[in-house]
Amino acid sequence: MDVKDKLINDEVSSGPALEPMAMVALDAGRMLMEAGASANSIDAIVAKFARGLGADRVDLRIGYASLAITIGIGPNGITQTRAELTRLAAKTPRHSTWVMAVAVGLACAAFGRLLKVDWSGTGPVFVAAMIGQLVRRDLLGRHVNVFICATIVSFIASVLGGLGAFFAHSDSITTAMIASILLLVPGVPSVNAQSDILEGHPTLGSARAVTVAVILIFVAVGLWLGQVLLSHFGIQL
Amino acid sequence: MTFAFLLHQTICGALAAVGFGVLFNIGFRSLPWCAASGALALAVRTCCYSQYHWNLEASSFAAALIVGAAVQILRTRADISQNALDVVGCIPMVPGSFAAKAILGLFALTSIDTAHATETLVTAVQYTLRVMFTIGAIGTGLAIPSLLLRVRVSR
Repeated sequence: MDVKDKLINDEVSSGPALEPMAMVALDAGRMLMEAGASANSIDAIVAKFARGLGADRVDLRIGYASLAITIGIGPNGITQTRAELTRLAAKTPRHSTWVMAVAVGLACAAFGRLLKVDWSGTGPVFVAAMIGQLVRRDLLGRHVNVFICATIVSFIASVLGGLGAFFAHSDSITTAMIASILLLVPGVPSVNAQSDILEGHPTLGSARAVTVAVILIFVAVGLWLGQVLLSHFGIQL
Repeated sequence: MTFAFLLHQTICGALAAVGFGVLFNIGFRSLPWCAASGALALAVRTCCYSQYHWNLEASSFAAALIVGAAVQILRTRADISQNALDVVGCIPMVPGSFAAKAILGLFALTSIDTAHATETLVTAVQYTLRVMFTIGAIGTGLAIPSLLLRVRVSR
């Protein structure tokens, strides 16, 4: 679904001018949540939105998959802000699929070097991670569950990375397999989970931490399947 | 630690941060900032880890602390959110490979051959703890400067 389609429809909301104001601020908050922003920045930005629209009082409750807002009076340019938000959702430039894939490949190859993969194994890691990112993008576009997606991508990337490293006569096949799946490691939520807890949002923080742990398990399952497959065909890991 | 090694680690850190910056849809103009952030993180960590022989957790903490502080000080210059910038810089330090090895170690425990069970268990637990402490160190290191130096938004 396009980001723009998900914006809450103005016509649905009836009643006093307060409601569309809350909806606009809430939409801004939802977009930030989806981007994985930390609770404090969501709080600050949503408050800014509501104030800009003329609210005198803003209270926001942030859950893992929910936002609730309560605002007090003062309408001012709601239509304008609504239009701006719609424009923002539609016009924010996004990197093309290929740019992203190459960047992810580079990142994983660099990771591989940091993990002491030898030079002959670095090329295969680059290719495997690039293909992994292309597959991930495609699967997420088809609305495959993120956890299942992590396992599938991890399996494909680790097998490709391992095979490539084997044929390139690398001495670090296992590490190359691991480096190829590092694109799946949820780094941002794992760091933000803690800052959320430190900033006084323990429920959101712990929910994020649990999600990180479960994603890591699903990624490891894919890697494990890949290792089983490669050793079945006699590749010494 | 040779200078070439430090340079290698720094460049790899910068590349990894840029790659993940693109993945997080950070614009091309701001990518040099991501590179600088990742390079600084890895340079500090490599210095502490290889030169002063600190352990990985302490080195990651020092690196995150310095990156967090640098981002807070320079934040008005870069045209992206400070939260994105310091997190992207620390991404190359997230111990993803340890996490994978830890979980694989736990899987291996369930196999029939339990001759090296104790060894496998201890290694897996060690990896798990290292992951938790390293991520903890990065998170805390980043949080301290932002909590101390941030200009509070009035509500």
